[in-house]
Amino acid sequence: MKKKKAVGAVITVFAVLLGLLWLIPLIWLVGTAFSVPSFHMTLFPTTSFTLDNIKYVWNAIPFGTYYINTLILVVCTFAVQFVTSTMAAYALGVLDFKGSALVFAVIFMQIIIPNDVLITPNFMTLSELKMVDTKIGMMLPFYGSALAIFLLRQHFKSIPRALADAARIDGATTWQTIWRVYMPCAKPAYLSFAVISVSYHWNNYLWPLIVTNSPANRTLTVGLAIFAKSKEANMQWANVCAAAFIIIIPLLLAFFVAQKQFMSSFVSAGIKE
Amino acid sequence: MRKKIALVTAASLLASVVALSGCGGGNSGGNSGGGDNASQTQAQAAGGTETKAEGGGDTASGDAMHLTFYYPVNVGGSAAQLIEALCNDFNAENPDIVVEPVYTGNYDDTVTKLQTAVQGGTPPEVFVSLATQRFTMASTGMAMPLDDLIAADEDGKEYIEDFLPGFMEDSYVDGQIYSIPFQRSTMVMFYNKNAFKEVGLDPEKPPTTWDEVVEYGKKLTNENRYGVGLALNSGSAQWAFTGFCLQNSENGENLMTEDGKAVMFDTPGNIEALQFWLDLQNKYEIMAPGIVQWTDLPTQFLAGEVAMIYHTTGNMANISQNAEFEFGTCFLPGGKRQAAPTGGGNFYISNGLSEDRVQAAWKFIRFMTEPERAAQWSLDTGYVATRQSCFETDLMKDYYEELPQAKVAYEQIDIAKPELTTYNAAEIWRILNDNIQSAVVGDATPEEALKAAQEQATEVLAEYQ
Repeated sequence: MKKKKAVGAVITVFAVLLGLLWLIPLIWLVGTAFSVPSFHMTLFPTTSFTLDNIKYVWNAIPFGTYYINTLILVVCTFAVQFVTSTMAAYALGVLDFKGSALVFAVIFMQIIIPNDVLITPNFMTLSELKMVDTKIGMMLPFYGSALAIFLLRQHFKSIPRALADAARIDGATTWQTIWRVYMPCAKPAYLSFAVISVSYHWNNYLWPLIVTNSPANRTLTVGLAIFAKSKEANMQWANVCAAAFIIIIPLLLAFFVAQKQFMSSFVSAGIKE
Repeated sequence: MRKKIALVTAASLLASVVALSGCGGGNSGGNSGGGDNASQTQAQAAGGTETKAEGGGDTASGDAMHLTFYYPVNVGGSAAQLIEALCNDFNAENPDIVVEPVYTGNYDDTVTKLQTAVQGGTPPEVFVSLATQRFTMASTGMAMPLDDLIAADEDGKEYIEDFLPGFMEDSYVDGQIYSIPFQRSTMVMFYNKNAFKEVGLDPEKPPTTWDEVVEYGKKLTNENRYGVGLALNSGSAQWAFTGFCLQNSENGENLMTEDGKAVMFDTPGNIEALQFWLDLQNKYEIMAPGIVQWTDLPTQFLAGEVAMIYHTTGNMANISQNAEFEFGTCFLPGGKRQAAPTGGGNFYISNGLSEDRVQAAWKFIRFMTEPERAAQWSLDTGYVATRQSCFETDLMKDYYEELPQAKVAYEQIDIAKPELTTYNAAEIWRILNDNIQSAVVGDATPEEALKAAQEQATEVLAEYQ
């Protein structure tokens, strides 16, 4: 018992250290964003507090529009993925139809293909559909998600048939069975996928840059790049940090509010990307 | 107990999510994966988008011709707004043409977006890309030669001759003009006059030769300061290296032939140049060891941690605004002779456009490069003005009076040569950068590194012979 306790203490210390390590960039970012620019890089700010950096970057590019666009992008993409993946996973995991293994294998293979490889073919398709530089065009290639289908299918498979049968005996239709039995049981899988999907689309840069032209359709990351990708001068860390801060704050807050649920869903869904 | 282990697992899982999401967006800082529980609002939001997306297109004004203009931003902050203001001016002056500027990230992103757009059948009419991309633009048929347009203009010949020859030099592919200089820069030396005084050097006499760089560097180096600073990261090393090789070659030969089909990396002069870099680091210990990033070097200079740096003139505004000491600029010190590389972006017109669109695009380029406008662009961004007549404007004269350090860049263009440019330039750059870095970190001698670079580059260029 004593030995176990010691091991536990070591693990706790290790976890705390790891946590602190991951906190360092965030501390530096917030500190730099809110202090007068200086040329000495330090972890904690040495100059006085200011809001000028935030003010400057906020006015330099239309962050308001970019915020709304990014929100629309992540919310709509996830909403559609939620519906399409649930239905696909139910079909593949619960309904036993001929060739379901083959269909699943084909879908599963898409997980291997990196998204960046698909930029050109996707763009060409959208260009033929006349959907370049539209929000719907930006989201369309992501409306189906192989990862979500895979995750949900595995989860649905682990749910005892007896539960669904009981629902059916009580007179539930297929829709009701999905809605009241499968979906609540797979909540951890949904939550983990939500985190993956939302953070991926929130952070995605190259695809939105390529498929959109007008500022009216552009996202936060494209706005950040104006500050972070300049090469002719020195890195204006204060501005880069201020812009990054503006961009990450919603995700950060959302995480603090819902961290318990996220943690437990990751543990029980047992996945990470 | 079990709970604690679960917590650890959760923490490390979360850590990897954070790491991955950080990579995905290329963002700095700790992005936490998280988000609103979107499922509740899905229905309304989905409905809302479709209407928005349909209304998201351009608002066409009458029957004016629309031109798309891709531009990268490399100077940070407000350059995007400046370009938009310039386009608005053009549109106001030409009611029958509407130029729509599209910000396309940095130079690399711009090329990616351009290639995608060309394949998708929606190329922009006009775009800005690196001057060094011209062989690629010509050989892939993405850009068109401009000679006919120039010939058709009454003042076409004078227009071209008005550009600084050092910049105009890298507009040609097989004798045809493919691009027009726009945002051009050159590498100069910035030095800290206070540090010079402190160690007993004359602040009005910056180094003019490599030997002097070493001599001054030794004096300037102390516990808290390096004498010399050079950025050797990928994407910057090849630029500085062009300069050093030009300075050290027998007859001022560049790293490549003019037709962009062959490189000369492993000449004795070039090997000496690379050896000189290593000596600065290892033998004389007057330059920071390893690889300093391009974007960090000016910051170190401003913090007084390095006394002389090789950097772009694009940094002039930044350094003059932020230096808390007196600073000077000078020509790059010479080996066998003084020389410097040019760099930066040019205007191109896409291939395969209808005649009236080509005319409109050309009109736009002419507008953007008018002397007054080019001079203003230089003042606002720090790029070197591209035309002789820019330097006769009051704007430019006043600027040089106020900031004499800026004039060095202009004067240096006379001895400047284009940076490394070939067919498939991106690949050749990578080869040279990788091999230079292997020498810098000590995996290869300069001779081995440049011989390897020569071999690999020759192989890549074989298909263009």
